[in-house]
Amino acid sequence: MFPHLSGLTLPCAPSRAGCTVRAFAWHPHTNKFAVALLDDSIRVYNSNSATVPSLKHRLQRNVAAMAWKPLCASILAVACQSCVLVWHLDPTSLSTRPSSGCAQVLSCPGHSPVTSLAWAPSGERLLSASPVDTAMLVWDVSTETCVQLQWFGGGGVTYLAWSPDGSKVLAATPSAVFRVWEAQMWTCERWPTIRGRCQTGCWSPDGSRLLFTVLGESVIYSLSFSEYRGEMQGQVGGSKTASIVADLSETTFETLYGEERIGGEVHSMVWDPTGERLAVIIRGHPESPNSQPAVAVFRTRNSPVFELLPCGFVRGERGARPQLISFHPCFPQGALLTVCWSSGKISHIPFFFVGALEPHASPRRSPVPVPAWHPRASPPSGAPHTCTGAGCAAPAPIKGGFSLPLLSSP
Amino acid sequence: EATKIRGMEHWAGGSRSPHAVSPQVLGWRVAAAITWSVLLLPICTAAFIILSGLDPFHPVRWISNSFNDLYTSYVIFCIFLMSMVIIIISIFNIEFYAVVPSIPCSRLALIGKIIHPQQVIHSFVHAIMGMLVTWCATVMTKGRFQFLAVSCTPSEGLEDAVPQMCLNEYHLFFLLSGAFLGYSYSLFYLINNMNYLPFPIIQQYKYLRFRRSLPLLIKHSCVESLHFVRNFCVTYYFFGYIPKVWICTTMDLHTDGKLHPLDTLSGLLDLSLFYHTWLSGVFLLMTWYIAWLLFKIYATESHHFPIQPTFAQETDQCLPKILNSNPPLLIKFLALQDLMLLSQYSPVRRQEVFSLSQPGGHPHNWTAISRECLSLLSDLTQRLIAQQEAAAAANGRAKPPVGELKVPPQTPEDMSFQSQRSNIVLRASMSPLVKPSLMPVKTSPGSDVGSPFSSPALNYKMGVVDIKSPWHGPVQSPHVMRRGPKLWTSVSDQQMNGSHHESFPVLSAARTGTEAVQPRFIYTWLQNKQEQIKTFLSKRALIMYFFSKHPEASIQAVFSDAQMHIWALEGLSHLVAASFTEDQFGVVQTTLPAILNTLLTLQEVVDRHFKLPHVSSKPPRISGSLVDTSYKTLRFALRASLKTALYRITTVFGEHLNAVQVSTEHKKRLQQFLEYKE
Repeated sequence: MFPHLSGLTLPCAPSRAGCTVRAFAWHPHTNKFAVALLDDSIRVYNSNSATVPSLKHRLQRNVAAMAWKPLCASILAVACQSCVLVWHLDPTSLSTRPSSGCAQVLSCPGHSPVTSLAWAPSGERLLSASPVDTAMLVWDVSTETCVQLQWFGGGGVTYLAWSPDGSKVLAATPSAVFRVWEAQMWTCERWPTIRGRCQTGCWSPDGSRLLFTVLGESVIYSLSFSEYRGEMQGQVGGSKTASIVADLSETTFETLYGEERIGGEVHSMVWDPTGERLAVIIRGHPESPNSQPAVAVFRTRNSPVFELLPCGFVRGERGARPQLISFHPCFPQGALLTVCWSSGKISHIPFFFVGALEPHASPRRSPVPVPAWHPRASPPSGAPHTCTGAGCAAPAPIKGGFSLPLLSSP
Repeated sequence: EATKIRGMEHWAGGSRSPHAVSPQVLGWRVAAAITWSVLLLPICTAAFIILSGLDPFHPVRWISNSFNDLYTSYVIFCIFLMSMVIIIISIFNIEFYAVVPSIPCSRLALIGKIIHPQQVIHSFVHAIMGMLVTWCATVMTKGRFQFLAVSCTPSEGLEDAVPQMCLNEYHLFFLLSGAFLGYSYSLFYLINNMNYLPFPIIQQYKYLRFRRSLPLLIKHSCVESLHFVRNFCVTYYFFGYIPKVWICTTMDLHTDGKLHPLDTLSGLLDLSLFYHTWLSGVFLLMTWYIAWLLFKIYATESHHFPIQPTFAQETDQCLPKILNSNPPLLIKFLALQDLMLLSQYSPVRRQEVFSLSQPGGHPHNWTAISRECLSLLSDLTQRLIAQQEAAAAANGRAKPPVGELKVPPQTPEDMSFQSQRSNIVLRASMSPLVKPSLMPVKTSPGSDVGSPFSSPALNYKMGVVDIKSPWHGPVQSPHVMRRGPKLWTSVSDQQMNGSHHESFPVLSAARTGTEAVQPRFIYTWLQNKQEQIKTFLSKRALIMYFFSKHPEASIQAVFSDAQMHIWALEGLSHLVAASFTEDQFGVVQTTLPAILNTLLTLQEVVDRHFKLPHVSSKPPRISGSLVDTSYKTLRFALRASLKTALYRITTVFGEHLNAVQVSTEHKKRLQQFLEYKE
């Protein structure tokens, strides 16, 4: 029925073997995260509370993505098969089963299955998209009204990423085209790729640089945008071409466990809120037995020139493949990477560093000193399979011989 | 053309203020909207002609005939005539538009609106225009519908009889259907509040907005036309003979005995007649809706107001000036929308807001903007308090404890806001009995001494607030009158000494003297009477049916202009958040306590509003129809943006907010926000 969707794998399709966590989302301001499990229930873990609310709803089927509303205590949007559910959770409540009356149902005919969601960083609008609907919806959640952003050609939307400064949105389509929307007048720039569809992408903290990967290529592209000012209404301001900043083709590494081959296509990619660490899931070659998926971490710098340096690998228990990665949005001592493994474990890996920039409060980072919860020492209470420490996941030191072509963009 | 320009001048120039900005901003928008709707008319006409000649069995002949018809002189004449109709319809759109919808709270109020002379004229003109459009439609359709009088031979079979002129009932049916559609359009325009201009939730280019609405518009016109034609057929079946007989007698026409009369069941079951009536109805509604839609799109487009004048004569068009004056409401809405946009997207213009005036170094821009936003928000707070009082009184429940909302002591800087606010409260809660004795509060020059914003303009503005707000009239219930002053006197006792204090003995005297003795008696007597009348009336179901207030409608009415407050909240909070890094002179810091106080007080009141009985906590489902009902859900949007605004400020300022002077209660609340527990 939808030929352009044939090669598409949803973030976690139920058929995919070994998938245990459907979606993961950190709260943008507090030590709280939501995990969508295989049975479509959602658990919300909070470092300050022992109660773990479990969210279930009649319409909550095939959960594909979740997103917490920014500038808000506890509103969680969930992308489901037929609709977007918006859970209003009482942060002070001790109930473990919030009633389905706490959920708002946002549905629009023809807009299903919903697979990607993105909140505006200002917390006012929600974007939802489906790979089979050519329209992307902008929701005013409080009044449940939506505006359709329509275009012609390219199919639906498989991946959405709103830039942290709120000015631009990346929308990847199932065809070899992705779009970058400018979020004030909602016009878009169309970016055809050569090989395949855009697989994943992430924005630098100031929204001036987009890193993305393309299906079938083992490289990371970078696309820079002119600095955003409100005066240039209706212009996205992207540069002419994207440049390759990293080549991740397969290489052999000497590790503690012997020789390993790592490299290949990038499955997903996240950038930490300070812009200093980049984590990518590299999908290994399914044919070769030695090659296995891995999480590679890079050290990045965005100004004055873009730099990307290899930093290390994160490995799980033997046989566990990384499935979802996410950075804590407001980790005060550096960056905190969370990895969901195929074994069902979730591990938090801290990176301690002093930011190059003067640490200052911005709307993205909560300046509230969070009760210093050291993920290595004490896992957040209640996390089911939280596995921290060197036994489970350790940033492996770089061995010699691993050289990435390092390009710094003009 | 002449009509058009006159209409524009009337709309733009004849507004309630001598602002130069209104003709400039609005005149062009109106002209562009009308021009586009007239330009789109030939396209609609071509589509109509093609569809009306529908002949699926001979497609080639059908298409070629239709295209030949397009250039005929009578089609061109019809297009000219219908352009006139479109211009007149547009003028009515312009005359009747509202940014704040008027929501009838009871059925009686709705009936009152329908028989209001203005609305009667609206309906009458629309009926005439509908008749004109369908006349054009019959001319363009040709065939048996074209003429009112046709020659016919008498049925009696007299061979030598001269041919007579007979009435073509099809033509009459068409004309009447046009009048009926025009009237129905006008009625639905009123009932659905289609004169309300909803502002879009995201900014988009006009062409894209039009393209997005076009499928909806076509679908809506088709369905609506079907309903209207059905209703018309029923009406014609019962009352069709009246106009028929009347036309026959006045024009001395005969009825053709060979034709089937149309006011019978078999006459109305004519598929071709039904199709053509429906099609001309769709044509009529579509052209009118396009004019309406274009006007809506043009009028709600954001406008860029300068912050600082480049030339001296442009001072009147600056954002702070417009916000603080009393322009037409649409201009005020546009100004607030622009404030929201600049605060969110434009660092350069934010810098202008935070800048100091060149000689003197006063933050005039920020002062003017923040003052207007705060006064809007505290105005809403007062209105909500009054509404909650009324609800409590109506329910006969125990009143909430007095002093719950007491205003905390504040720093001298924001005293002016305080005094302004409390003055508004006092004035809002005055009964006619105490009013004369309280006048000095407003007019005494001493009451504003020491506040940086004391100016005649302020007093003037307060007067304006009092007059323009419809909420200050009906809320003068004895409940409010007794409670109002108490609610806020804690300020006067603790804080307002000196000049502020002087005005208050007048108030307390008024309270103890007049109120204590007289009103109590009058009050009880009135309440008894009221109860008696109520019980008497409630036994008569019909009267209750008309008089009963619909709770949902009254709540909608309270929040009908909440769009302004939403923008004020968003604008203020974005500006305050940006000031953390961008405000070089610290101009925002001086008003931060006042802003936090206002927002937190409003938050409390809004929270309490949603706990009232009859108040649903979830927005009703809005179907994606052409008729915008977003005014029904404004209160939910307000609640959400209020919370977001507070979080925006607390997230950026964080622990620094502990240094801001607010009352202990508000401090507690702020702490909740800082810990993300609200």
